[in-house]
Amino acid sequence: MSHTVLVCDDAIFMRTMITDILAQAGFEVVGEAETGTQAVEKYRQLKPDLVTMDIVMPDMGGIDAVREIVKQDPDAKILMCSAMGQQALVVEAIQAGAKDFVVKPFQPSRVLEAVQRVLG
Amino acid sequence: MDLSQYAELFLAESREHLSACNQLLLEWERNPAALQPVGGLFRAVHTIKGMAATMGYGRVADLAHRMENLLDQLRRGGKTPSDEIIQLLFRATDALEKSVTVAVAGRERDADLSVLEAIDDAALQFRPAAQPSGLARLRPEPAPAPADEPSSSAPQVSADATKSGPTRAVHVVIRPEAPLKGGRAMLVLKKAERFGAVHRLQPPSAAFESDDFDGRLEFELETSAAPSDIEQALRGAGDVERVVVGAAAIDEAVITTGEIPVTGAPNPAGGAGGGARSRHIRVDLRRLDTLMDLIGELVTERGRLNDLAARWIGRGGDPEIDDVAIQISRLSADLQNEIIQARMTPVWQVFDRFPRLVRDVGRQLGKQVSFRVEGKEIELDREILDELGDPLVHLLRNAVDHGIEPPAERKRLKKNPEGEIVLAAVRERSSVAISISDDGRGIDRAKILEKAKREGVVGPHVESLSDDQLLRVLARPGFSTAEAVTSVSGRGVGIDVAMTRIRALGGSIEIRTQAGKGTAFVLRLPVTLAIVRALIAAVGQERYALPLTYVAETVEYGTTPTTTMEGRDAIVLRDRVVPLVDLRKLLGTNGAAASPPPRRPVIVLEMGERRVGIVVDGMLSQQEIVVKGFDAPQGTLPVFSGATIMGDGVPALILDAAGLV
Amino acid sequence: MIDGSLVSARLLVFRVGTLAWAAEVDQVREILPRLPTTRIPGAPPVVAGLVNVRGTLVTVVEGWRALAPTETSQPRPPEDAGSTLILEVASGNGTKDGSGKKLVGFTVDEVIDMVAVGDTTLEDRGGLPGVDPTLVRAVGRRNRPGGAGGGAGGGGESGKDLFIVLDLAALLGPVLTT
Repeated sequence: MSHTVLVCDDAIFMRTMITDILAQAGFEVVGEAETGTQAVEKYRQLKPDLVTMDIVMPDMGGIDAVREIVKQDPDAKILMCSAMGQQALVVEAIQAGAKDFVVKPFQPSRVLEAVQRVLG
Repeated sequence: MDLSQYAELFLAESREHLSACNQLLLEWERNPAALQPVGGLFRAVHTIKGMAATMGYGRVADLAHRMENLLDQLRRGGKTPSDEIIQLLFRATDALEKSVTVAVAGRERDADLSVLEAIDDAALQFRPAAQPSGLARLRPEPAPAPADEPSSSAPQVSADATKSGPTRAVHVVIRPEAPLKGGRAMLVLKKAERFGAVHRLQPPSAAFESDDFDGRLEFELETSAAPSDIEQALRGAGDVERVVVGAAAIDEAVITTGEIPVTGAPNPAGGAGGGARSRHIRVDLRRLDTLMDLIGELVTERGRLNDLAARWIGRGGDPEIDDVAIQISRLSADLQNEIIQARMTPVWQVFDRFPRLVRDVGRQLGKQVSFRVEGKEIELDREILDELGDPLVHLLRNAVDHGIEPPAERKRLKKNPEGEIVLAAVRERSSVAISISDDGRGIDRAKILEKAKREGVVGPHVESLSDDQLLRVLARPGFSTAEAVTSVSGRGVGIDVAMTRIRALGGSIEIRTQAGKGTAFVLRLPVTLAIVRALIAAVGQERYALPLTYVAETVEYGTTPTTTMEGRDAIVLRDRVVPLVDLRKLLGTNGAAASPPPRRPVIVLEMGERRVGIVVDGMLSQQEIVVKGFDAPQGTLPVFSGATIMGDGVPALILDAAGLV
Repeated sequence: MIDGSLVSARLLVFRVGTLAWAAEVDQVREILPRLPTTRIPGAPPVVAGLVNVRGTLVTVVEGWRALAPTETSQPRPPEDAGSTLILEVASGNGTKDGSGKKLVGFTVDEVIDMVAVGDTTLEDRGGLPGVDPTLVRAVGRRNRPGGAGGGAGGGGESGKDLFIVLDLAALLGPVLTT
């Protein structure tokens, strides 16, 4: 059975792209979230195998969302989606419990490598 | 991975740390009760160890590790070290420096590690007394254990009661091309923590958040897991270039704090002491030379653009082109300035090795010397600075050997038994003056004069030597004044060599000496070789550049009293006779040009005490010129230091003040 | 015997004075119009001076002074006519970049042609009247374009012009040695 994924990003374009990359590799994207609050809610409902989490999102940011999710499920497998120049934020996210990160612009191979590391 | 590409960086960075070690040791030697030096030493050696291990230089890393052990014992013991210990650390630092050099040269096997035994013995001796007997050895690598200690190599027991257990040194290098290396490092750390506690993390995790983080981290991991397991797990963090897991070693470090305290950053660039990573990168000097050449071309083209713009507007073209031309002028001037700045290097990069040198020479000769460096932050062009090292070494050795009297003699003369040598750098108009002064016996003019007469250097009628004449006598190849030939300064040769070197850099040397009071040598150097401000003089139809560094003033020929000096025309300037050189005659500027104007400018050049007036036809401008070399054909007059390209793209030769004065 | 290294070389043929000369194309870095020169005081008259070749300073040798000093009766072309060849010549003592090569400029009155050396192009012939034999590597002939005689040519077979392959190192080496 394929792994389930929750994709969290406030940009449709980014969500679409990540979904495409993952779907082509045989993952099942079971939900999408546009804000941190939504991400926390949907994680509770869907219990996905993997979450991709943008750092900057309205209402609740990605890092706070990571803290909330890890509070509920210490084994949550969260992959941060960051940009160049977000070094300090990435470090913070990892300290908060994120398992790995990818840097925009995404290369499919890099994203899948990171996903494998998180799930493996 | 091809590590050889990092060798140069490793060497340069190690040298910075070794230089810091020498500074700290000198400080410690002066004040053995001080606590700061040992912390800085520990960190510098520790850093070298980590770099050497990363480079795969096992012997260097081993030597550094054992030094680190000893330093840690000393630091934790908090006792004042004996002089022998400090001398041992000096020797160890020398050995480390040599081993680094040979390792980079690919001959690591040649490293002389004979000092190791003494280091280990000293470390054992300084082991805190309260430790239980049967303590495992302090040596990092399995080696024959002394008979009175347990023969099993593991487990090793820490002296510190708060924590125990074997630890492994771990070095991780994140791929250089990886983005956000700090995040990667944090993942590595997370993975490592699953094996056990992490100690001595370098750099501290706060550094991961900085964009300057270079992707290298090291720590000690409290675990007995197999190195291969650790390596595999850490590679799981992704983007890991290299993992080196060391053999088990006792963790005798500051377990309570977990991190190395940073004390007394020894140099202003933050090379050794600072926790923050330097924002500097190293650039091959040849790159900067190329940039300089390109800028020269740009400046030339800029001149053409300006001409074109003027013509275009003259023909009714859009005057906006003028704005563009002006902007380009401004940008290229800024760019040129930035590149010059990029070549500037603070003098401490060369000066920092001198305290050690003066100390060593002083000890060797039984002289007591306090050595002071001033103006460390003054900057010079890198190329000049590199060339300056040897002449300064020579002059400093001379000062200790011939200048400073033995302590007994100084006492007899009611001087402080400890002599003083000051090395000072001062920025002047467009040059830097570097002085080496001592409060020693000064140079005995009468003796030199006598010897100079005997050797026929000066005529028999000369009654006294001015400072300037004295220097000329001293600088004669092979002229020796030393009573006894010592191993330190050799046979008086050297001032000539130093002088030649300084002059080749477009600099000058001056001497001031007073019997019984001391001697000072003053070296004046242009700040940069690549670009200088120059006076552009016209001679006939030709243009020549005269670097402003040595231009004292300009006067007008015909308005100044004239006289002759040794058969040459001369002018009298504030009661001093200045000989003249007519550039037309000197350079053979032929008669195609109009006859010289009636009132010709005289450019007075000054080098030390010597002056000469250069008679030209006119002065065209004052501007920055890019100095370039050229292949001087056979017969070229020896009065040019290079050439430059003027705004119109035509070359102009640069007159060498040293060749004219 | 013909200089073996010239077999299958390509030659640049140019005119200095009344004669045609040639240099190996491999030694010619570029061909530029005459550039303004700066006199180098003390240098021999054969040195025209220093020129700026896109930021690099190059010493230029006056071709006619080097090759045709006796043709003083010939009217010289105006100073700005002709070309400057930028040549790469081996130098005895190595240069800064360690390549052992130096750049030197050489003024010619006219660049004529580029020829490939074939089996019959070159002949070994020294002792040309008025030419220093130590500068001659070989003598060659090229087909006269359209059979019309150019300014060059040392006489000889009809439809063919004579040219002299120069030994650049022998010609320029002594000037450049400081």
